[in-house]
Amino acid sequence: MNNTFNITRFGLLLKRQWLEFGKIYLISLLVALGVIIAFYGIALWDVLALHETFQHSDLTFREPLFLIFGFLFITVIASTYFAHLGQKPKAIIELMIPASTFEKFIAGIFFTGILSTVCYLFLFYITDLVFISKLQSIVKNVSAEETKQLDYLHKYVDVMPSFAYVVPLFFTSIFLLGSIYFNKFHYIKTAVAAMIFTGIWTYIVVKTGELLMEGRIPVEQHKLNWSEQTAFNLITLLLLVLTFIFWAITYVRLKEKEV
Amino acid sequence: MIKINNLNFGYSKGQLLFKNLSMQLQNGHIYGLLGKNGAGKSTLLKNMAGLVYAESGTLDVLGHHPAKREPELLAQICFIPEEFYLPSVKIDAFVKANAAFYPNFDHPYFTALLAEFDIPVKQKLINMSYGQKKKVIIAFGLATQAKLVIMDEPTNGLDIPSKAQFRKIMASALTEDRCIIISTHQVRDLDNLIDTVIMLDENSVALKASVDEITDKLCFKRVKEIDETVIYAEQSLAGYNAVMPNYHQEDSKLDMELLFNAVLAEKNKLKPIFN
Repeated sequence: MNNTFNITRFGLLLKRQWLEFGKIYLISLLVALGVIIAFYGIALWDVLALHETFQHSDLTFREPLFLIFGFLFITVIASTYFAHLGQKPKAIIELMIPASTFEKFIAGIFFTGILSTVCYLFLFYITDLVFISKLQSIVKNVSAEETKQLDYLHKYVDVMPSFAYVVPLFFTSIFLLGSIYFNKFHYIKTAVAAMIFTGIWTYIVVKTGELLMEGRIPVEQHKLNWSEQTAFNLITLLLLVLTFIFWAITYVRLKEKEV
Repeated sequence: MIKINNLNFGYSKGQLLFKNLSMQLQNGHIYGLLGKNGAGKSTLLKNMAGLVYAESGTLDVLGHHPAKREPELLAQICFIPEEFYLPSVKIDAFVKANAAFYPNFDHPYFTALLAEFDIPVKQKLINMSYGQKKKVIIAFGLATQAKLVIMDEPTNGLDIPSKAQFRKIMASALTEDRCIIISTHQVRDLDNLIDTVIMLDENSVALKASVDEITDKLCFKRVKEIDETVIYAEQSLAGYNAVMPNYHQEDSKLDMELLFNAVLAEKNKLKPIFN
């Protein structure tokens, strides 16, 4: 028997985890759907229901809604995944399930990093599609390009595809780590810890830069000819490295979890 | 089946709960693990199940190191904790999700155990009483056909008829290749069930002996007066309940409560008898 990874056992684990978290997961999705519909409904009510004149500003809420609510949704899901390990009775049952630590960890990444993002995108896309289609059928003086479904999303994915894929994994990896690191108030504690770390890191980088550069002038003019794409790729690489570091720490915490 | 060698364990550095604890447990036995509050009964069980990590020493369970939490070993361990959690699903759904992890899970046996425990199978687990939930988890654990059954205070929350049912079921669950360890402070619940007694005291094993060995070496009887042969005695209505060396090979019934108190009070007198 392979004690590290077995695809059949992993499938059983996903099925079991779905039984455990599925109901809460579906409820979360319904809540998310309700929030998205509420935003679209409130913003477009005048145009769709009262047949008032459509203004371009009526659709400007989509991008911030997608980004802010999306961030909240996937991070909340991630911060709850291992949260039950902070409770002794639940932790015992969970750790005694005959699946390897690696399989339990990969299941965590699947539910938090992949499934939650895919579900959120799907819900948002469907809601957007329904409302924009309705809008297009009512408002005749608006070009199709202007109300194209999720145009703002395509903008991100087209310009920086790898970056767009890594960002959700990066944020969920932080909150997944928080879910196993803290025993209570996982979301708040993780958010505060992330802010403190970011603050310290920024301070160190700025201060180091000042110390190294202050009062000095460049003797040679070496210009970095980085394109926007290169810069995005470097940021993507950095986020990817950080994501793997957070996942590695999460795995070690799960492996060393004691009850 | 279980080999513990010089195990050192503590929840905080410098304060060891077990100091160089060593013992071996064999299959085909039901062990009763006794000890005062805080003696480390639950902790020892958790060490065996790989739920906590020892500071030093070796622990071998069915040829595996339990702290590695390998699926092959976990599938052979049935751990019934004192505090447990069951999800808000019906028994069928619970079994469907969990039984597949145990290659030898015996569905008909599980159904029979539920019937014997009189469990309402259509009811959601979350709506059951603590005692009913405990019976479900015991039935599930035994149906896994795990070779190592570890139970921490299994009779807590069970009513009087259920305790008798529990004893009957556990006695029938013992097979030649199975090892059952039951930790409890309600020693009367284990009467006639366990065949070996393990007592923990002062960071180590104070006594590990089979019931036959104990009754061979010690005699438990009621006496009117205490003489110098009595190792330990407790006053009762008609004299004293006493523990004394069994010089004349008398048959007596093991009084576990009395033995437990004797071990705690007169460890030095008992040690030479069992060494």
